[in-house]
Amino acid sequence: MNVRVVYCSHSSADLSVRERLAFATDEQLTRAYDELRSRFPQSEHVVVSTCNRVELYTAQDTLAEAPTSREIADFLAEFHNVPVSSFRDELLEQSGADAVRHLFLVAASLDSMVLGESQIVSQVKKSYELATRSEVNGPLTNALFQRALAVSARVRSETRLAEGRVSIASVAVGDFGKGIFDRFDDKTVLVIGAGEMAEETLRYLQQEGVRSITVCNRNAERAQGLAAAFGGTVRAWDELDVLLSQADVIVSTTGADRPIVDAPRFRRARAVSSGQPVFILDLGAPRDFDPRVADVDDSVFLFDIDSLEATCRRNREARSLEIARAREIIDEETARFMQDLSHKATGPIIKQLRESWHEISRLELEQLFRKLPSLTDTDRQAVERSVERIVNKLLHPPLETLKDEARDGTHHGLLDAIRRLFRITEP
Amino acid sequence: MHPEKISLVCFFASYVLALVLELTRLLRSMSLNRWAGWLAAAAGFVAQTTYLIVRSRAAELPPLLSSTHDWLLVLAWLTVLVHLLVALVHRQIAVGVFTLPIVVLLVGASRFVSSEPNPIEEAHRWWSMAHATFLVLGIAGVIFGAALSVMYLVQHARLKRPQSEVGGLRMFSLERIARLNWWSVIVSVPLLTLGMATGALLTWLSRTSPQPISLWRWSFFVSGAAWLVLVALFGWLLTTRRATGRLVAWRTLLAGAFVLATLLTLGILSGGMHGAAKPADDVRLPAEPAPFVRTVAVLHP
Repeated sequence: MNVRVVYCSHSSADLSVRERLAFATDEQLTRAYDELRSRFPQSEHVVVSTCNRVELYTAQDTLAEAPTSREIADFLAEFHNVPVSSFRDELLEQSGADAVRHLFLVAASLDSMVLGESQIVSQVKKSYELATRSEVNGPLTNALFQRALAVSARVRSETRLAEGRVSIASVAVGDFGKGIFDRFDDKTVLVIGAGEMAEETLRYLQQEGVRSITVCNRNAERAQGLAAAFGGTVRAWDELDVLLSQADVIVSTTGADRPIVDAPRFRRARAVSSGQPVFILDLGAPRDFDPRVADVDDSVFLFDIDSLEATCRRNREARSLEIARAREIIDEETARFMQDLSHKATGPIIKQLRESWHEISRLELEQLFRKLPSLTDTDRQAVERSVERIVNKLLHPPLETLKDEARDGTHHGLLDAIRRLFRITEP
Repeated sequence: MHPEKISLVCFFASYVLALVLELTRLLRSMSLNRWAGWLAAAAGFVAQTTYLIVRSRAAELPPLLSSTHDWLLVLAWLTVLVHLLVALVHRQIAVGVFTLPIVVLLVGASRFVSSEPNPIEEAHRWWSMAHATFLVLGIAGVIFGAALSVMYLVQHARLKRPQSEVGGLRMFSLERIARLNWWSVIVSVPLLTLGMATGALLTWLSRTSPQPISLWRWSFFVSGAAWLVLVALFGWLLTTRRATGRLVAWRTLLAGAFVLATLLTLGILSGGMHGAAKPADDVRLPAEPAPFVRTVAVLHP
């Protein structure tokens, strides 16, 4: 079997290149599969296209049928209508066990921008399912991708690679927000400023069910844009004190060069509030909230970017300690997969060769026994055993060599030679 | 299978094992240690249930009325039951870290209190049963409140610091703990009040019996003080407007600890709730059940 992957990822190519080569929609990918099928009819194909990578896996029985990396590059260039020269140097290629290992690394999120992130598993699974629906995959890619998903699950269960959140917004909401509140659908979120971090945090908060969002920003235009994107409302900047007293969650991302809320100001806001817990995410740098705001009362939980980043860093470090163990699992699974494949590839030939030699020896022994009727049953059995041992000893060296070659993935030439030497036809 | 051979040591060891397995979740939470801990607690629960049934049959009294030893074990049994149910529904929450130490404490303490069956006035059996039931449920509520308060304070300290969750020490949110804590106090204090009222009624009814109970006993005063502390907490919870969750947790924890300490101290120092001063040296079944004396039984925390 020949597996090849031609790819570019976040570690090899700029976003501008990845964007040009990406298959943005299922419809576009379906068209790509049609084109691949017409160009390389003997190959199986699976394309994994995400914001961080574009990877085209091909698999076929013999090397001669495999599309070359140049042909794949030409296909990408023509399909996306971009010159090959603009990305050729940024395309990478792996084949055989290396290609298998690469897919396992990708599915286990060892090759992800955020180590251990879980999204890639569903992306790989989705890619495989689309290839199946488009009928461009086959037994080889089926085995490969199913094993990749199993390997990913094994890495996650046997290592801590996926433990702990590693982005600021996810740590803020998942690790801390959910430790304060049981539910978010009855909470009021106040966004001060309209920075990029606010958007990401609001996305996480909306996933948790937040419905009431108020945006308060000096620049009303930007506030309206953010509020419109998340179904929130805009309030004037001079209403900030009232809003501070009403909010359950405060996300602050202004570009102010000094704190906009100090402890006395926040204490005044709390004095007219119901005293409910308040979760403050100060994502501004420099800080928007004076650190002493956290001491206003027991129900004020203030998190600034440093404390969140420290948690992210600890989680990332904890994950990176698991890389070696995860790689061990992947190496082991790659070797096992290649062995299984080689067994599948060489098994039928070995079986046929053994059967044909034993059949010849059986026929010859029948002739011999007809010529020597005086032989007793014991003599006959002794002769049969000797001949069987001779056949096995003669077959042993070539078959062991074939198995060794198959383990290394270089068995195709030898397999072909055995087929031709002994005139073995495919079953 | 010989149920009568089950001893206190069997389920005490199961609960200690469950607690140790639960503590391993602080290092790393896996399905293996989670389920092993749950199964160890469940095994202890089954053994404890069998033990209580066997003793109850031997004494011909329900465990709640049988002896102080049995009464404490019923309290521990209720705590384990709630622990098993919560741990089953909320598998990620390390609830055993907070509940199992109390279970181990109660089962361990039951070893040092009287295992003599309590004398029961047959005419007032149902009042005695109501008295014991109200008290055990009320105190169980207080114990859960105390366990929840500890969880609240740990979670609060983590969020104030701020610090990621340690290993598998996943806890309920402050919002949920505060709600559960509030309800545990609001439900348990009326139950305890009913327990105290039925106790007073039984005392009054005993005036015509051969052995009337006197209210002038130091254990009654200590129990009354514990009850008053809880009533004060109850009143404060209902009337205060701006109590922070942390303050509620501290007060519930202190009140719960006071009640638990009172309960165990009285049980151990006086041998039993009603002054039956024979510790449970033999934690297996008594060879011969104690003679049945027709007097009124009054349990009190």
